[in-house]
Amino acid sequence: MRERELFELSEMKARLEEVNSVLEIRVNAKTRALRELAANLEKEMKERTEELRRKVAESENSRVALMNMLEDMEDLRRRAEEEREKTMAIIANFSDGLMFFDARDRLALVNPRVEDYFSINKAESKNMIGGRISDIVRFAPMSSLGEIFTGSLERVSRRELFLNEKTIFEVSVLEVAGRAGKIGTLLIIHDISREKMVEKMKTEFVSIAAHQLRTPISAIKWTLRMILDGDLGPINDEQKEFLDKTYKSNERMINLINDLLNVTRIEEGRQVYNPVVADIEEIIRNLISNYEDIARQKSLVLSFEKVALIIPAVRVDLEKIKLVVSNLIENALKYTPAGGKISVALGEEDGNAMVEVTDTGIGIPAEQQDRIFTKYFRSANAIKAETEGTGLGLFIAKNIVEAHGGKIHFVSEPGRATKFSFLLPPAESD
Amino acid sequence: MTQFASLAVMSYNPRKGMEKILLIEDEELITRLLSKKLAAVGYEVSLAMDGREGLEKIKQIVPDLILLDIVMPRMGGFEVMAEMKKDGKIANVPVIIISNSGQPLELEKAKDLGAVDWLVKTEFDPNEVVEKIQKYINKN
Repeated sequence: MRERELFELSEMKARLEEVNSVLEIRVNAKTRALRELAANLEKEMKERTEELRRKVAESENSRVALMNMLEDMEDLRRRAEEEREKTMAIIANFSDGLMFFDARDRLALVNPRVEDYFSINKAESKNMIGGRISDIVRFAPMSSLGEIFTGSLERVSRRELFLNEKTIFEVSVLEVAGRAGKIGTLLIIHDISREKMVEKMKTEFVSIAAHQLRTPISAIKWTLRMILDGDLGPINDEQKEFLDKTYKSNERMINLINDLLNVTRIEEGRQVYNPVVADIEEIIRNLISNYEDIARQKSLVLSFEKVALIIPAVRVDLEKIKLVVSNLIENALKYTPAGGKISVALGEEDGNAMVEVTDTGIGIPAEQQDRIFTKYFRSANAIKAETEGTGLGLFIAKNIVEAHGGKIHFVSEPGRATKFSFLLPPAESD
Repeated sequence: MTQFASLAVMSYNPRKGMEKILLIEDEELITRLLSKKLAAVGYEVSLAMDGREGLEKIKQIVPDLILLDIVMPRMGGFEVMAEMKKDGKIANVPVIIISNSGQPLELEKAKDLGAVDWLVKTEFDPNEVVEKIQKYINKN
């Protein structure tokens, strides 16, 4: 028993030792593994920390960059704001009234001058923002603009607007385009009251003076006519000759006064036109027959030619259009030396009636051609050729043609020839 | 030439000397010249030196035609025509305006008031005035 027990004990011990050694191996292995793990962890921690540190550094850099960018932006914004303020200050202090409409034709901006002009306050002017021109003209103080803008925001150039007796504006509308196309439309209101007043006083003076001059001049005309006709008793040939010359001088004075009056009427805007549909060929033929005698006396050939089969009917003020054609023919007669030719042609161009007066005269000096339609202007060679002349004929002609919606222009070769032509738009068939 | 024209007028109008023409004009020289001319042609001419006197004479003599100036003292030509319209007896007497002016707006006004024609003195002479008178008198 004792032996057996001993054996069992020794056996157990052996097993325990065996187990122990196995365990020892395992523990050792575990410990190693743990150690490895700890080492790895530490390494990873180091790496992570390093990365984090790097990232923090990076983000710090980014932050600085961002801050710099923001600062730059702020700078730009401030500069843009300054520019905007400058622009707004210019708009606000601009001597003209400005109304800016956006690309959809809605009012976006009104400057204080507009408020002054139409006697409206800030709140009222703010109220108009966002409205179309058709809404704005319904607002009573702004209603006078309705005379120009009946519906949409039409493009007008220097259209006169009578606000009251003393106030006259000039209204223009222009498109504002940026790089990407239309940004909006600008309505500009310019006060021309003072200019108009001065102009009116000047034209009134000329008008009154001219009318006052007509009274004695008509008395002279009638007296001379009756003496010349023998109504006041017989006169001898010499007396008749002198009186005849005096009569002609007086007629020249009458023409001069008429020219002055025509100019003032044009400037006063009083030129009332009574347009009728007319046959321009008949008008011209009649006029030419009036000048045939004068042409013959001056040894000039005056001819008429129709250069188009069909001449568009035109709507004209007869007296005024006669004045235009007469002025052109008279100039040709005056400034063409004996033996020359004057031809009047009637034609058609782009649907318009076209009248041309061509002469073989002294021409217009090249350096003075751009002033030829200016009031009172006479070219140097014209003054030499003919001392008489007001320098008003072409000015009047241009105004009349343009009042009819037509155009007048010329080509001239100094010393050789001149051709004046004007176009009249066709009568609208309605 | 004018004397010839005058003769033509006289022979053309068998009732010469019968028609009464009233000249209302404040400018003496024009008045003298025109009345001489008209008398020579054979009209019976009456004169008035301003609008008010003219209106009285119109009512008094009921002329066949009136030559009327516009700018005159006391009463102007437009006023004379407006007054004539109120009186049925003289409302239809033809009126020819003789004036130193000829503004389109004035012409319109004269037409509205019933004037048959408008002569600007610097553009017409006495012979042409006679021709105009014939044109309107022979109509009646």
